[in-house]
Amino acid sequence: MRKFTLLMAAAVAAMASLGWSAARAQQSDEALKATFERVAKLAQEAVDTTRFKKKPPYHIGVSAGYLSNSWILFLNQYVKYEASLHPEFADVVVTDAAFNPAKQASDVEDLLSKGIDVLLFWPVDEKAMMPALEKVAAKGIPTVNIGYNFIDSPAVTSNAYVDQWKQSTQVATHLAESLKDKGTIFAMLPIAGSSAAVTQLAALNDVVKSHPDIKLASVQFGDWNRAKAKQLTENMLQRFPHIDGVFSPAGQMSAGVLEAFDEAGRMGEVTMSPGDEYNGWVKWIAKTDKWGSVTSGLAVGRAAVLQALAILQGEKVTRARVVTTEYLTPKDAAKLYDPKRPDDWWPNSLPEKFLPK
Amino acid sequence: MSATTQRLPRFAAAAAQMGAGVLAPGVELVRLGQFAQRSGIYLVLIALLLVPALWLPEYRNVLNLGQIVQQSAALAILAIGQTFVIACRMIDLSVGQLMGLIVVASCSLMEGRPEATIPAILLALAIGLAVGAINGFLNNRLRIHSLILTLGMLSILQGAIFVYTDRSVGAASPAVLRIGNGTVMGVPVTVPLVLVVAALAALLLHRTRFGLHVRVVGANEEGARRAGIDVARVKLPVFILSGVSAAIAGIILAGRLGTGYPNAGTGFELDAIVAVVLGGTPLSGGRGTILGTLAAVMVLGVTANLLNLLGMSAFIQMVVKGAIVIAAVLINQPRVLGRA
Amino acid sequence: MISVSPSLRRHAVRVLQRHGIWLVLLLLLLVSATLSDAFLRPAYLMNLVLQQTPVGITAIGVTLVMIAGGIDLSVGAIISLTAVMCAILMNGESENLPRALILTCLAGTLVGAFNGLLIAYNRVSPFILTLGTAIIVYGLTQIYSGGTASGVVSPGFREALNHRIGGIVPTMVVILLLAAACGIWIQRRTRFGRALYLIGTNPTAARLAALNLPRVTLIVYSLSGLFAALGGIALLARAGVSGTYTGRGSEFDVLAAAVLGGTTFEGGHGGIGGTIGGLLVLGLALNLVNLVGLSFYAQLIVKGAIIVAASTTYEFVRRSSASLEKPAT
Repeated sequence: MRKFTLLMAAAVAAMASLGWSAARAQQSDEALKATFERVAKLAQEAVDTTRFKKKPPYHIGVSAGYLSNSWILFLNQYVKYEASLHPEFADVVVTDAAFNPAKQASDVEDLLSKGIDVLLFWPVDEKAMMPALEKVAAKGIPTVNIGYNFIDSPAVTSNAYVDQWKQSTQVATHLAESLKDKGTIFAMLPIAGSSAAVTQLAALNDVVKSHPDIKLASVQFGDWNRAKAKQLTENMLQRFPHIDGVFSPAGQMSAGVLEAFDEAGRMGEVTMSPGDEYNGWVKWIAKTDKWGSVTSGLAVGRAAVLQALAILQGEKVTRARVVTTEYLTPKDAAKLYDPKRPDDWWPNSLPEKFLPK
Repeated sequence: MSATTQRLPRFAAAAAQMGAGVLAPGVELVRLGQFAQRSGIYLVLIALLLVPALWLPEYRNVLNLGQIVQQSAALAILAIGQTFVIACRMIDLSVGQLMGLIVVASCSLMEGRPEATIPAILLALAIGLAVGAINGFLNNRLRIHSLILTLGMLSILQGAIFVYTDRSVGAASPAVLRIGNGTVMGVPVTVPLVLVVAALAALLLHRTRFGLHVRVVGANEEGARRAGIDVARVKLPVFILSGVSAAIAGIILAGRLGTGYPNAGTGFELDAIVAVVLGGTPLSGGRGTILGTLAAVMVLGVTANLLNLLGMSAFIQMVVKGAIVIAAVLINQPRVLGRA
Repeated sequence: MISVSPSLRRHAVRVLQRHGIWLVLLLLLLVSATLSDAFLRPAYLMNLVLQQTPVGITAIGVTLVMIAGGIDLSVGAIISLTAVMCAILMNGESENLPRALILTCLAGTLVGAFNGLLIAYNRVSPFILTLGTAIIVYGLTQIYSGGTASGVVSPGFREALNHRIGGIVPTMVVILLLAAACGIWIQRRTRFGRALYLIGTNPTAARLAALNLPRVTLIVYSLSGLFAALGGIALLARAGVSGTYTGRGSEFDVLAAAVLGGTTFEGGHGGIGGTIGGLLVLGLALNLVNLVGLSFYAQLIVKGAIIVAASTTYEFVRRSSASLEKPAT
């Protein structure tokens, strides 16, 4: 029994020190915004690519943090397609970490062993990937980050990214406008802890700050999973007798959210934020002529390959190639709907043989 | 006697043996089966290391092997702890999230500061010990199956991690980073670390009275109780060992990732259990082999590495991994009829 | 302590053991109603049940497996496979509907049969084996679908299944109840069902009683696969075509429901009725936690605590009832 009390005391002490360090550990939302503003300037900085210059053929290694999401899948196909357009690229090898950062570190090491000339990646978690990226940099191999975030580190040679902050701000601002600056909303975010979720929430909070009559009642994490988003929305519908708006930049989840409202017979009361070009979402726009989209920047995969090519040929390159996002009115967004394709599809310019099956 | 007649008896003996071999293939097959069962995993490992070397240049490089060990180190330590648990006919599903909690806690404390290395390691051990003790205590008192208890614990720990943080926190100190990623004269730091832990564990399991008790309780709990063994006193330390192994694995993982990623441990518990069973420790308990567990962890690591080097799609890798699990478990069948 | 006649006490304990979960459900419902009157609305309650339907249908098959002392961890993977497969086979045409449903159920049953065969004729642990199968099936699902949740649902499929009878009772809940009734009938009224209990309690005795263990094993795992396929179809109806990993994690939800309902890993105890009760309790508790405003992660903690607390209570009840069975000294 005494041993037990001793152990419990140890546990309590452990938790206490945890609490103490917790206060210092979190990066605040304000700091995040400042980061994004600083990043916009950093993106313009030039990168010295002379040390990466080498003769083709080049082998591309792609370390995918995850492939379990149709947007990412299309992005991956775009990478392969763009590489096929340039004879300098011999092949593209893709590894999938399936949301396991330890596996991603191993994947990167394996790609290095295989002998790649450039590493394209989207991290499960940026910070968790740093040790692996540093190994790549130590070998003199350039790296290009693809996705929603600019990684400011000497181990990341360049970035091809969609400005998530700007995109989220666009979505939030349009939502606020549609709501006429007043109402109760909840947010449907991707996987908790992912840079997408963190950024979207911070941007939303930033916009909401300047609209005091808009109240963010709850934050839900739908994990880019339509079924989960639907279930969480059903819970929201039960909890709140009146919901004016939903912040959901990811069309995949917006489709699930809307279905829940539809089945509850409460479609009339809600204003959705713009989603993206997910086919299942633009289907709703085509049906209702409402809400619109902010594009998701799917072209970022191609931008990354072009960036890699430029680096390997020693050309002038900046630290980031930013893919802009634009707002599409409901009318324009509706044009993107392809009834012949399943919901889990994205408008694209891929030739037949590069389309996902 | 002429030379021929001298050789005749030997020849006759050999022929008799061959005949016996032909007539009694069953006996030979049974022997072969037992051999495969006991040493199957080692054969698989050797095959996996030698065969690809024929056409993959990376496999002729021993550095690649060192790298695989580094990649598998956290899982190896976790699986070593789980070996004790399974040998005692229990299961600990909470180790994955416990490891994740330790990664988050230690990185939060360290914040990249070198002087925080020792406190962080102590913190990790404290948490591992404490949670392990709680698991063990509850397992003894509540009398529910360890599978259910640790399943509930898994959920609780995961919730606890995320209540604390929803994003990566903290940073590993340079020393811890070296533990996870560094090499000493070309040999990864984790190699001697894993070997030392494994050696100690093997000694504990096979050469101490405690280890004997663990195996006896696993084989026949009621019998052990009647023989005068205090079963509760055996099971509690087993869970503590599991917790401590999660702590050590957590430090290694913190070094690998460099940051406290909340979901760091998700799924590791199932991989650990798979490794233990593949290595030859039956889920029905009573026996345990640390070496087998290590070999199985290496098999899993080499397979993943091989598939990556061969450029196989992630989806095919999943199918292959599942097939290996099933194939290996079919070979490694426990002699005792045990359920689940 | 009121002195109650031992036979009455024994009877009470046995009732508690069998149907205790419904008592818990009732209590929880009362507590919830005091916290929010939403819980008094039938539409709200029906919605709670609806959310649990895919897991519920799957849990029926897994309960049968667990009664026999086994475990099936591959159901989450089967759900993911069947949800995607059914949509792809439907391909947006209503004539494909029957064919899609039949083929999908067949696929689930085949995976179950694969599990059953290997477990029946080898002394492998169902835990590891079904885990391995799950990994294979997840991989096959990705290969089959190309990674995206392709496939278009037949028109009318989702509308029919999401329709509410009388505006309140969803069709799918009716299907869940029918499936549960089916399962309970198998469990109580067939020789197969009784065999499951015997195998779970005492496999040696079962073998001595000349029960064809391999055949029963094969059938029960196939059934588990079939119910998982039905669960996947239900998920498709509820959520549409959404992803290739939609079933992930369901196996643990199913286990939790079964355990809460009184079915144990050792086998020989419990039943589908209890599982459904456990499912509802879990669903209600989590919804309550959500309503009260606790974060999603707090819900995980609550879920874990409920699992441990409920199992402990069952064990306690079981042991006290066992001690009550002892002859008076």
